[in-house]
Amino acid sequence: MLAQQYAAIKRDLDGKGIIFSFSGYLSEGILYSLGEALREKMTMEEADGPTVRRVFSVFVEQMQNIIRYSAEKVTGTSSRSVELSAGMVTIGMERGKVFIVCGNTVLNADVPRLKERLDHLRGLDREGIKSYYREQLREEPEDGSRGATIGLIEIARRASEPIDYDFDPMDGERSFFCLKVRI
Amino acid sequence: MDTLTIAATGRTPGVAFDFPAGQLRLTGESYPDDVATFFGPIFTALRDYLAVPGHTPIRFDMELLYFNSSSAKALMNIFQMLEAVAKAGRPVAVVWSHEEGDESMRELGEDFAEDLRHVAFSLREVPIGGIG
Repeated sequence: MLAQQYAAIKRDLDGKGIIFSFSGYLSEGILYSLGEALREKMTMEEADGPTVRRVFSVFVEQMQNIIRYSAEKVTGTSSRSVELSAGMVTIGMERGKVFIVCGNTVLNADVPRLKERLDHLRGLDREGIKSYYREQLREEPEDGSRGATIGLIEIARRASEPIDYDFDPMDGERSFFCLKVRI
Repeated sequence: MDTLTIAATGRTPGVAFDFPAGQLRLTGESYPDDVATFFGPIFTALRDYLAVPGHTPIRFDMELLYFNSSSAKALMNIFQMLEAVAKAGRPVAVVWSHEEGDESMRELGEDFAEDLRHVAFSLREVPIGGIG
């Protein structure tokens, strides 16, 4: 029964082309380890350096978005600034392209602003994304954003297709936010 | 301070600033878990160095193989400091290295160069495995 249950989960992941999947509390330490595994796997498959770095770049920005902005997190006490943030990250292959899907809880109050940023990015072509990046590089970060905007632009820039996103309302206060990027 | 040397780790760059010689270099990769903590001392050392008027030309070698978006902000800060002294008359050269075929890194170099009017900026393509 036990093996059957978990084999079903694994088959489902395999069927979706998923190579890595992590769900639970994410931290900078986990980002580092998963990132190393991702690069090793891609290098073994003989992906060239720039391709590996493009995928890795999207992975880092997505993971750091969860670590910084998940509405579900535990923060360490004063002496050790550890952030454990609940979320999930999934990396797979689909029609010959690597994709990364990240999911985390966000506050409903933050949804409109996030939507607005993502829609703005989706509406831009390559040149538009590039000049938006240049502009944001010179901007002071907005209050409380810790550089979220430039992180999203970096993601859009490395993507080979417009980024996909969705929100699933959980209750009156929170929604589950999902971001899918194909590289 | 004569030099600032920080050994590279898996996620923080190697820093080799030889102030008397005017030679500054960043190598490796940059995606620190806390950008402010890592770059804070670098900004301080650089600011102190640039605050003392001097005529020694400055050469900054940007040899990062990868940096994340928070590090990009930190790099921009360094470039702005260099541009300010270059504007005041000190010769400053920035050499931005990227691996052959790494279009992303080359493009980023162009993004950073856009505002530089007084710093002499150049892109340098190196063979694969030549930097980092």
